[in-house]
Amino acid sequence: MTDEHELDRDDDLRARLRAADPAASLGPARPDGVARLLEVTMSHDTDTLVPERQTGTHGRNPLTWLVAAAAVLVIAGVGIWAVTGPSEDGTAPPVAESSDGAEDADQVVITQLRAPAESSGRCMVPTAEVLGQQQVAFAGTVDEITDGTVVLTPTTYYAGDEADRVEVAQPDASMTDLIGAVDFQVGASYLVSATGGQVTACGFSGPATPALEQLYADAFAG
Amino acid sequence: MAMDDDEERRRRFEETARGLVEPLRRFLARRTDAATADDVLADTLLVCWRRADQIPAEALPWAYGVARNCLANAERGERRQRRVAAKMATLSPPEVVPDPADDPGDEAVTAALAQLRPAEADLLRLWAWEQLGPGEIAVVLGITPNAASIRLHRARQHLAAKLRKIDRPAGHEESREGRRP
Repeated sequence: MTDEHELDRDDDLRARLRAADPAASLGPARPDGVARLLEVTMSHDTDTLVPERQTGTHGRNPLTWLVAAAAVLVIAGVGIWAVTGPSEDGTAPPVAESSDGAEDADQVVITQLRAPAESSGRCMVPTAEVLGQQQVAFAGTVDEITDGTVVLTPTTYYAGDEADRVEVAQPDASMTDLIGAVDFQVGASYLVSATGGQVTACGFSGPATPALEQLYADAFAG
Repeated sequence: MAMDDDEERRRRFEETARGLVEPLRRFLARRTDAATADDVLADTLLVCWRRADQIPAEALPWAYGVARNCLANAERGERRQRRVAAKMATLSPPEVVPDPADDPGDEAVTAALAQLRPAEADLLRLWAWEQLGPGEIAVVLGITPNAASIRLHRARQHLAAKLRKIDRPAGHEESREGRRP
């Protein structure tokens, strides 16, 4: 019974636990790595950092978050509804078969977005700061456009939950005439961002040009 | 004026964060694979930066709490990412990352921890690995110090009981006089 008393003593128990610390063999981080990590961290905007925002974003944050929260629910709901995709009967969507043997390997995650609605808002100059606040941002290629729905396969995710496929509903062809809307073409690559389930236009989404890629890289650095 | 505030905020954050990086890194290395640990460390620092005004004087337990939440988020998203990763696997086979649980060590302790309820094991890890007291554990877990103290006491008893069982299988009561290596 001696060892019972021994184990009941906290110090011994703590020492034994410490001996099993998986990080015991972890060397210290390189100082230059830490410095760079902090630099990247502080390159991000902070919500409280700039109380006097430029016009356009002023006062919009609370609503943005509310809408975004609702959109997350909608996307999640739609995702669950949509994952009952076709089985292997030859009409499978253009998504590679998952081979990891997971129990849900045959499920396809789809994010559904809307084209920007007609609005009286004016376009602001696209900035990495505003882009960085978007809920969803990805690079992808248009696989097909049918019945006003653009189907993209994402290649790179900058923000948001990753999906196997993204569908953008374009209710009307004339939408593309709107200032700043994205003119999706099959086979072309695009950078797309969205908030509240709605694609952001006005230069925030568009064909994958080096300039736009740079903007995305800046917005979602780190 | 605003510029000065900005500079001051950066300076203060950098000073605080420098002291947080190493313990946070270890906190995450103990609980997930290396790649996820790196990602979650960056997430955690970003949350700290965005909430820099709320960082308490004793920043570390608070930051552990942030890291804990970020890790939980990352693990929720992991299942989904695995599906995407499976598509890319042919292009870049993922490197095999050792699971921290596989780390050689006191196997009895590892086994005993695994037998405890996850919340109790969490508590004990914070106590022994992060070397936190009940008050600090309370901050990490968002519970009262009193609750942390009671739960920690109970978790220690449970762990000790499990260890006794593992260390001393039935019929070998006298076999453990000496110390373990």
